[in-house]
Amino acid sequence: MRDLLVVENLQQVFGGKTRTYAVDGVNFRIPEEPAIVSLVGESGSGKSTIARIILGLLQPTAGRVLYEGTDISTRDRKWNRKFRGEVQAVFQDPYSVYNPVYKAERVLKLVIRKFGLAKSKAEAQTLMEEALRAVDLRPEEVLGRHPHQLSGGQRQRLMLARVYLMRPRLIIADEPISMIDAGMRASFLNILLDFRETHGISTLFITHDLSTAMYLGGEIIVLYQGRIMERGQTRAVMSDPQHPYAQLLISSIPTPDPRKRWQEDLSAGPLAEVGAGISSGRDRCLFAERCPAVMDRCWGARPHLQAVDKASETSRDVACYLYS
Amino acid sequence: MPALLEIRGLTAGLQGQRAVTEVVSQVDLDVQAGEILGVVGESGCGKSTLAAAIMRLLLPPQVLQSGSMTLRLKDGKTYELLDLPEADLRQLRWRRLSYIPQGSMNSLNPVLRIERQMTDTLIQHGLSREEALRRSIAALELVNLEPRLLDSYPHELSGGMRQRVIIAAAVSMRPALIVADELTTALDVVTQRQILQELAAIRDELGATILIITHDMGVVAQIADRVAVMYAGKIAELGTVNGIFESPLHPYSQGLIGSIPREGGHRVEGLPGEAPSPWNYPAGCRFHTRCPHVIDRCRAQVPALLPQGDGTWAACHLYEPEVLSNA
Ligand SMILES: Nc1ncnc2c1ncn2[C@@H]1O[C@H](COP(=O)(O)OP(=O)(O)O)[C@@H](O)[C@H]1O
Ligand SMILES: Nc1ncnc2c1ncn2[C@@H]1O[C@H](COP(=O)(O)OP(=O)(O)O)[C@@H](O)[C@H]1O
Ligand code: SF4
Ligand code: SF4
Ligand SMILES: [Mg+2]
Ligand SMILES: [Mg+2]
Repeated sequence: MRDLLVVENLQQVFGGKTRTYAVDGVNFRIPEEPAIVSLVGESGSGKSTIARIILGLLQPTAGRVLYEGTDISTRDRKWNRKFRGEVQAVFQDPYSVYNPVYKAERVLKLVIRKFGLAKSKAEAQTLMEEALRAVDLRPEEVLGRHPHQLSGGQRQRLMLARVYLMRPRLIIADEPISMIDAGMRASFLNILLDFRETHGISTLFITHDLSTAMYLGGEIIVLYQGRIMERGQTRAVMSDPQHPYAQLLISSIPTPDPRKRWQEDLSAGPLAEVGAGISSGRDRCLFAERCPAVMDRCWGARPHLQAVDKASETSRDVACYLYS
Repeated sequence: MPALLEIRGLTAGLQGQRAVTEVVSQVDLDVQAGEILGVVGESGCGKSTLAAAIMRLLLPPQVLQSGSMTLRLKDGKTYELLDLPEADLRQLRWRRLSYIPQGSMNSLNPVLRIERQMTDTLIQHGLSREEALRRSIAALELVNLEPRLLDSYPHELSGGMRQRVIIAAAVSMRPALIVADELTTALDVVTQRQILQELAAIRDELGATILIITHDMGVVAQIADRVAVMYAGKIAELGTVNGIFESPLHPYSQGLIGSIPREGGHRVEGLPGEAPSPWNYPAGCRFHTRCPHVIDRCRAQVPALLPQGDGTWAACHLYEPEVLSNA
């Protein structure tokens, strides 16, 4: 099986007085066939850093990113142009992408012009309307208005309309719905599902909100302190997490169902937070100080990701000595 | 039993150049002693304005327009909050009514140790230094923080710890009512769970009543006893948490609950359209521009919040007796 994107031994250490290991030996792949992969973790776990590296906005300390087998740091200009067209970003608050002086649809017009997508004004108009409808926006809601006159949800979907025009192969979406209202989140997620199903567009969906990952399905990667703790099919991981950290995280989701309330009372337990990017003594399991199952060996060396279950539906990679 | 806090016709708005724009309109709400009441709604629907209005802490251009609020304490004392002079209110706040505004974990003074920040307010309320310190330590214990934390500066604490300090300060006088606005919004899920469980324990320990204001349906599902759903500055529906989640009556509550992304496999649809801002609240039922069940009278007549049995209240013409009997 070929892969669309391969992230290999990625490491990002930020300097300064204390070194921050934002990303520490991360490996994953996004397959050739259209897929949604969710990258989840608490804030500071390294998600955005991984996104920036994949987009070529940040040069990693170590490791590499391959797109269709080619290292994205290649200097081949033709290849770079193709890469920038095929991999598109959608960020948390798209407001900064818009120039407030111009009408909102300019973000669409620029793309149509840049990629020569239309031969006439009328054709450009038709194309814009089609793109807006593809993301559940009525053209009359958006056309002719300025960015500040749109809601966060509308601006975010307009970004998807722009992406739609470009027909990328991969969308890197970093917390795209955390500023959108509850009522509109489902529509945004549905668009990503439609993109995959009808246009073969894959998404790397980055979020701290596990319930949206659950809705999207596909594959999930659980990050902690810049390392992958568990990886597998989203449905399997969510219903039966293996890594103690994934278990804690998933059992803490505030499920919007009063009949599925949190079971055990964690309030008297050890405080949850450990500063992000622990800077020294990383040659161990980074979850050790919080882990209810911690053993001596957990302090001695880093546990590596290993397959614990090979059945295709439930197959799982876990970085924990309980399984090796 | 009479409610701890009885809110009637509470209306608050924004003072503009020529007129006041209503933000929160005619809110009727009974907060029962000892309950955790969740107020939910999408951002901009007026939750924070309602919270500040309840505390009488609206800041210009926000203005309180009309209504009444009666606070009935266990010791038999009754206060008409809107008639109370500011000096008396100041006595009530903190001792009886405690407020944790949105974003307050970032409002700690960076150059003062936690001890000063916690005890100063108590000393201002007439406590001795020793008593203030004793109460601060007891309050920190309620949120599982050690007394030595009093020596820290805010930047030495994680977000969750700062939020706990804020909660401890808010409950140090053992208030009857705690109003918490987006208490855990900026926190990670594990910390959020711990803090919400601590809050529930505080309710049990102090016998306090908690009004928890959030945009997060998951938070109310986990800890609220009852839920008030707000839309465009009004209460659309009020009921038990199970009732709201399992058989919502108001079309807006139905849309909100129905649009929650759940486990993969089946799709849910988002609510179509946008919530209106106070400058263009529609006439009649404010939800009529997005409602799939709209009928003629919705465009002209404001539906009243009426009891529907089983402790549920809904503000929707569909549930008015004459509409029900024609159906
Ligand atoms: N440019 C930078 N310089 C220094 N530290 C950084 C920089 N960018 C991110 N970090 C640190 O790296 C860690 C991971 O950050 P980030 O990738 O933004 O996490 P997430 O997106 O999961 O919240 C954090 O500790 C953050 O403070
Ligand atoms: N001080 C203010 N100045 C201008 N607009 C305000 C102010 N306070 C509230 N509003 C407006 O009132 C509406 C309700 O705001 P708010 O009560 O904060 O809602 P919520 O807490 O539900 O998000 C929003 O449209 C908001 O923009
Ligand atoms: S390796 Fe050890 S400390 Fe880490 S999660 Fe597994 S059991 Fe816990
Ligand atoms: S009153 Fe009318 S418009 Fe409003 S929610 Fe009920 S049916 Fe819909
Ligand atoms: Mg991030
Ligand atoms: Mg608010």
